[in-house]
Amino acid sequence: MNFVIVLRKELLEQWRTFRFLIVAAVLVAFGLSSPLLAKFTPEILKTIPNMPPELASIIPAPTLADAVTQYVKNMSQFGILLALLMTMGMVAQEKERGTAALILTRPVSRGTFLLAKFTAQALTFAASLILAALGCWYYTLLLFEALPWGTFLALNGLMLLVFLVYIAVTLLCSTLARTQAATAGLSFAALILIGGIGSLPRISDYSPGRLFGWGAAMTLGSGEAAWPALWVSVGLIFAALLAAGLVFRKQEM
Amino acid sequence: MENIREYIPLLVPVIIIQLALMIAALADLIRRPRTKSAKWLWAVVIVLVNFIGPIVYFVAGREEEIEE
Repeated sequence: MNFVIVLRKELLEQWRTFRFLIVAAVLVAFGLSSPLLAKFTPEILKTIPNMPPELASIIPAPTLADAVTQYVKNMSQFGILLALLMTMGMVAQEKERGTAALILTRPVSRGTFLLAKFTAQALTFAASLILAALGCWYYTLLLFEALPWGTFLALNGLMLLVFLVYIAVTLLCSTLARTQAATAGLSFAALILIGGIGSLPRISDYSPGRLFGWGAAMTLGSGEAAWPALWVSVGLIFAALLAAGLVFRKQEM
Repeated sequence: MENIREYIPLLVPVIIIQLALMIAALADLIRRPRTKSAKWLWAVVIVLVNFIGPIVYFVAGREEEIEE
């Protein structure tokens, strides 16, 4: 059976299990509320009763930078969380229910099976992020001013790449583990490991998380490029998928 | 404050998304013959916990019926 047929089945599955709805809803909601939050926070602070006037006067007026920072912060937290939550069942659950064995009795290679899952998840996140970015761009235009669309697009591309790293790593965990619960534990451990290693001073330039900072700075027209982090991210995606493929090939169903 | 009131309509789409997620979760809950742990408990979680409630239900609460 070829890849396209398996991919179509996986995309249908994304819809039926509400994965697409969840990812789109959460990302779009944060895309819209990030510029709103950036705009409102100073106003809300000013309404605190008994605030000394000297303090109220030093609360800075919200800027475009606040909107972008808020967007990147929300997307990085919830995007990565969703990448883990939505991916961890993908292989493990099918093994638990026995549906994986069912599909693999048909002429589908195990590599195709995994790759179709990764591609379906990647498309889900890409489509959701496009919607979220459009929402954020429009609300930022209404509340602040127009964002430079070229660099904003690049920011979203970099964010998608980080999400793909976590999707690939969680897919590997889902392949290694027997159950969905074990996958959850394994992938949260991986998340902490990647985050922990990435926050070490010399290594941080190579960590996928660095791409968020690069993208935000680029949108605001400053900052240094972090190409090493980009190559490490691409490498991690390939390594995780390759490892998942090798493990899955040897696995008893 | 005047400033804020002017922007309240912008919150409407965010609230609609939240409601859509909640309704989809509730519709699935009603149609599903069995769930992991009590149905009424899931209904409470879905309605009361914004965003997170429906998501937790979709990830952890649904018991798949095996097809074929």
